[in-house]
Amino acid sequence: MNKNTRVLVQGITGREGSFHTRLMKTYGTKIVAGTSPGKGGTQVDGIPVYDTVEEAVKEHEIDASIIFVPASNAAEAMIEAADSNVKLIVTITEHIPVVEALKAVRYARSRGSTVIGPNCPGLIVPDETMIGIMPSRAFRKGKVGIISRSGTLTYEVAEVLKDMGQSIVVGIGGDPIIGSSMLDMAKEMDADPRTDTIVIIGEIGGTMEERLASAIARGDIKKKVVAYMAGMTAPKEKRMGHAGAVVYMGMGTFQSKVEAFKKADVKIAKTPYEIPELVGP
Amino acid sequence: MKLYEYEGKILFRKVGIKTPSSFLVPPSKNFPQGKVVVKAQILEGGRGKRGLVKVTENPLEVMEQMRKDGIEKFLVEEYVPHEYEFYLSCMIDRDSQEPMLAIGKGGINVEEEGDIRTRVIPMERGVRSFDALEVSKLMKANPEEVLVVMRGLYELVLNYGAELAEINPLAVKDGSLIALDSKVIIEDNSLIRIGETLKSLGIHVERPSAYVELDGDIGIVGNGAGLTMATMDMVKIAGGSPADFLDVGGGADRNHVKESMLKVLSNPKVKKVIANIYGGITRCDEVALGVVDALKEVNKPVYIRLSGTNEEQGKKILEENGVKVYDYVPQMIGDALRS
Repeated sequence: MNKNTRVLVQGITGREGSFHTRLMKTYGTKIVAGTSPGKGGTQVDGIPVYDTVEEAVKEHEIDASIIFVPASNAAEAMIEAADSNVKLIVTITEHIPVVEALKAVRYARSRGSTVIGPNCPGLIVPDETMIGIMPSRAFRKGKVGIISRSGTLTYEVAEVLKDMGQSIVVGIGGDPIIGSSMLDMAKEMDADPRTDTIVIIGEIGGTMEERLASAIARGDIKKKVVAYMAGMTAPKEKRMGHAGAVVYMGMGTFQSKVEAFKKADVKIAKTPYEIPELVGP
Repeated sequence: MKLYEYEGKILFRKVGIKTPSSFLVPPSKNFPQGKVVVKAQILEGGRGKRGLVKVTENPLEVMEQMRKDGIEKFLVEEYVPHEYEFYLSCMIDRDSQEPMLAIGKGGINVEEEGDIRTRVIPMERGVRSFDALEVSKLMKANPEEVLVVMRGLYELVLNYGAELAEINPLAVKDGSLIALDSKVIIEDNSLIRIGETLKSLGIHVERPSAYVELDGDIGIVGNGAGLTMATMDMVKIAGGSPADFLDVGGGADRNHVKESMLKVLSNPKVKKVIANIYGGITRCDEVALGVVDALKEVNKPVYIRLSGTNEEQGKKILEENGVKVYDYVPQMIGDALRS
């Protein structure tokens, strides 16, 4: 992903879609087209709008799509993008029913597409491109890669790490079912020469952090990893804001994640403000 | 959205899972003679340990007792003698991204004891007779009945929006299966699809709230789940005790911030409030106005960190109203705890 990545915005005429299209464009993202059923033939900020993804890909080369479509139709939008062979699908939409998200994510995967999200802030390569809703002031070009299940906490950590700067920052999403896991993203960053150190921002619920930790322990990730986990004080079976931040059947507790990272010799920051010290000079 | 036991059992019967014959109070007034089970209908767990499930021949007296503890709704059920008890549940496994059944010995401490076997059953094929045959050996139950129960729970997850459909205990009586209790949690996001169906079945549907109450005395407000959790954890690490978790979400406006702040401020246990706001799509001036509005109604010490979009305007509004604003979160928490 770089400044030449050509982006489609699904749901470009909506309140969120049009607002963030403008911000992404200002940041330098190469937005080539948008979709909005029934609004084909119009324009948003000079960007041509189509009724369907199929029509958009006939007219434009598209590398990635970002979805702002409301929850009731967002799973459809993901399937539509996958059907037109869009290789990267970033789903910002929150509150998609989990079974629908699951079917859409699996369908996209079967078509060879990568899904980021749902319920995520997207991704940014500072100074090159942003496919997301992140506030640009938090980021600066550098060598730290950040993988996070959160939104605002990611911006906070990026700001804390601003002196070092970031190579790529990915918000993978706060839902129980998401398209790309921490391990998927860590593998990408491990292979990416722009990244020196990987910072993980996890939270309670699910066992994605534990799976990443086992991969690190096996030696699958070679680069230095620093982790922070939110939710130490969360009670069990209570949902902490994110649909995915909930512990069922004792799986994915704060303790289990911290122990898994310790076993893998990953340094764990007690607070977000300890992260720069652990990342080192 | 968690369902009451009797509501979970409405869904169980809908998908073919047997439950004891029962009477909901109110409205029911007359009950069969002999042994019955009186069960308080509350959403919190641990009823057994709290004495809110009782076997009795005098349900009226037992309910009168429980009413003294503030219980208003009851399920009076036939008493079902049985040979064995099991735990059976279905949920989406986040790792394999497929539905998963969990089977174990039943009882109050099933989760702590961790003696649970799981079985991922891909959506592509659904629950089959051989799945049930395996489980029926463990349960010493009729395989066809096991299949009905397994398929029922599976269907609740796939078609009724359940993020957890659990029977504990599932009673085995002469090889037959009866769900003695229900624990069904409907995924909040699925209410846009299943809400109307649930209502038509007599199940309450309410908007999910982002507010989680805890035991401490320091109110916590933040925007974004991760940031709010991190704030809560830092308060704890610094020696404080959080009273709640409240994420105002993205893009909260003046009124929403006011309502959220009031929710926390009006909790009598709360002595002071720590608010951590990172403005991205949320505007700091809107937050500041909402905080000031709330403090006019309930005045308690508030420590607030504001950063991001329209930060300067937000800070000005708060400072003019005597609220101290911080840039650095650890400093805010330190000051709040020392005061």
